[in-house]
Amino acid sequence: MADEIKQPDEVNRRQFFMKLGLGSLSIAAAGTAAFSYQFLEPNVLYEPSPVVNAGKPDRYPVDSVTLDVNSAIYIIHSQEGYFSLSAVCTHLGCLTAWKPELNMIACPCHGSKFEPSGKKIEGPAPRPLPWKRIWLNDDGDLLVDRSTDVPPLARDSFVRV
Amino acid sequence: MAKSGTTKTMDQYFNDLRGTRVWRSIFRSGAGSSTLKRALAIQQNVFLHLFSTKVRVRMLSFSATWYLGTLTLGTFLLLVATGIPLMLYYHPSAPQAYADTKDLQFVVSSGLFLRNLHRWSAHAMVFLVFAHMFKVFYRGAYRTPREFNWVIGVILLLITLLLSYTGYLLPWDQLAYWAITVGSNIASAVPLFGDKIHFLLLGGNAVNANALLRFYVLHCMILPLTAMFFIAIHFWRIRKDGGLYAHSSEPAVVRANASDFPTSRKEREKSGTPSSGAKEGQ
Amino acid sequence: MADSKEFIAGVDSNAKKSPRRIVFITRRTSAQVKAETEDQIQTFPEVLFRAAVAIMTLAVVLVWISLMFNAPLEGLADPSHTPNPAKAPWYFLGLQELLHYFPPVVAGVLVPGLVVMALIVIPYFKVNVEAEGLFLKDREKRLRIFYAVAGALSLFLLLYKSHLYNYVLGIKGEAEPLYAGLVPTLIISGMMILASRSSPQSPSAFRRYLAARPLSYWVMTWFLFELVVLTAIGTFFRGPGWAWVWPWQGS
Repeated sequence: MADEIKQPDEVNRRQFFMKLGLGSLSIAAAGTAAFSYQFLEPNVLYEPSPVVNAGKPDRYPVDSVTLDVNSAIYIIHSQEGYFSLSAVCTHLGCLTAWKPELNMIACPCHGSKFEPSGKKIEGPAPRPLPWKRIWLNDDGDLLVDRSTDVPPLARDSFVRV
Repeated sequence: MAKSGTTKTMDQYFNDLRGTRVWRSIFRSGAGSSTLKRALAIQQNVFLHLFSTKVRVRMLSFSATWYLGTLTLGTFLLLVATGIPLMLYYHPSAPQAYADTKDLQFVVSSGLFLRNLHRWSAHAMVFLVFAHMFKVFYRGAYRTPREFNWVIGVILLLITLLLSYTGYLLPWDQLAYWAITVGSNIASAVPLFGDKIHFLLLGGNAVNANALLRFYVLHCMILPLTAMFFIAIHFWRIRKDGGLYAHSSEPAVVRANASDFPTSRKEREKSGTPSSGAKEGQ
Repeated sequence: MADSKEFIAGVDSNAKKSPRRIVFITRRTSAQVKAETEDQIQTFPEVLFRAAVAIMTLAVVLVWISLMFNAPLEGLADPSHTPNPAKAPWYFLGLQELLHYFPPVVAGVLVPGLVVMALIVIPYFKVNVEAEGLFLKDREKRLRIFYAVAGALSLFLLLYKSHLYNYVLGIKGEAEPLYAGLVPTLIISGMMILASRSSPQSPSAFRRYLAARPLSYWVMTWFLFELVVLTAIGTFFRGPGWAWVWPWQGS
């Protein structure tokens, strides 16, 4: 009490219990926060798989650009081989369209225009259309993984049959 | 408080924080252990100012009430706190509801725990509400001027039972479906209006998608809001009736000596008449 | 507060300016608790901390139970297949047990309706507010009424759906008297008879306690007893087809 000379690191009973209580409370709060965050992130999604089966390569003649509206990808068969672009405009997410007479991909929403290689010609889109990973499965079908981007025009970004 | 040279302790940092303008603009009355500060902590708080700043010592007695009313409110809060997260993963459509319940148990992180806690808190709440009612009755705490608060209590009992009943259907399992089928068929036993009540309750002639949706809206929105409404009135009337009922046969002191509570002695020393404090307790 | 007057009277003094008026002000007509000179303590921290501890204890208990026991979940709802037995949630099992004996109008509508009504009006009966021992006044008269009511109720519970009842009404099938109703009624009636033979001067504390119990106590205790018995039967002693089972007959 008043008589004792308090050392700087000495705590009395009240302070001890205060620290104990507040400490436990913060641990509990941290745990609750962690578990709440885990709860909020769904472990299972009821959404279609990002991997799309585009069928046999013969469906796509040379120098063709084919839009699949359901999966929002372009399958393009160029001289170097098959590759896939995302059809979702990089500006605000509208579905782009292939204009063969102009030889470009155009977005109807704000007028962004892209070359068949995905490179942006004009418009408010900030980035070119991304290239998506494409490969052949064991049945000889073309598969595209919409969740994986690959470098544009790189050797491994094409499928050669 | 230990002061060692220029280094500050956590306490001191915290106290400095409390002195800042930003802090004081949010927590206006400030912290402290004086009678005034403690009274302000109640009176200035939007959630707590339903309490009076002082209560009679007798009201603290555990043996008087077993704190059943407080515990019932506690279960209600637990149910709201667990119910809302459960709503995030639940679609009130048949048979998706059953799949969602299974999901909550097996897939969702902490889903099983939340569902369990919700279920057992619900059973606890029904039990506690009955216990609270019987305890209030046997104490005679329903007597004048508290009659209508007793009636509000009975209404709250009915709301609790309805909440439990509507929630029972939501998992859409065999237990739920048939319990509600039987229960709603009892409703059609009401003379004259029975069938109409049955039809309106279910939104149809059988327990199907409409019934599930109606019970969901009742359970998650209508009944909780009604409950909160009546709970507020229930608490307000306790306050207006002078706080918890304290029969003269119940102990006037909770601890060995009422003067163990420092503020009450201060009160007695300061003012000669404790009656000023009594009025403040209204 | 020691005043017995209900009103105060005031008279306007200037008779020339205004005619004489006498004012009656009723004093404190709103019913308030008589202010007692009693020690008071601060809500914060005393009340709030006790409430917080109570709720935290409750939360800990419920969390522990939730970690140990899973909420039940049966198969998907199937309108074409009724489980046997199809039981209501536990708080309605008392009612469901009653439904076994009485038609739905009685057990499902009348009884719950009357119970709720009875609960609501409890505080409005003077006899409940005064709360005097039942047999301390008008003992003979009240005893007569008691024997009549308790006797009639017990007789009804004994005879309803008994063998005699079935025979007289030509009903085929099992006879199942309402023992669940009869036993608590007899026990409470027994206690009430004991109470009528006790007084505040009785030697045993228990009999003094009984003598002081008012009518509301007896009715409510009977109701509580019945509620517990019926719910317990519905929970533990009823199996498929709502037939009687013993709890240890695992099913």
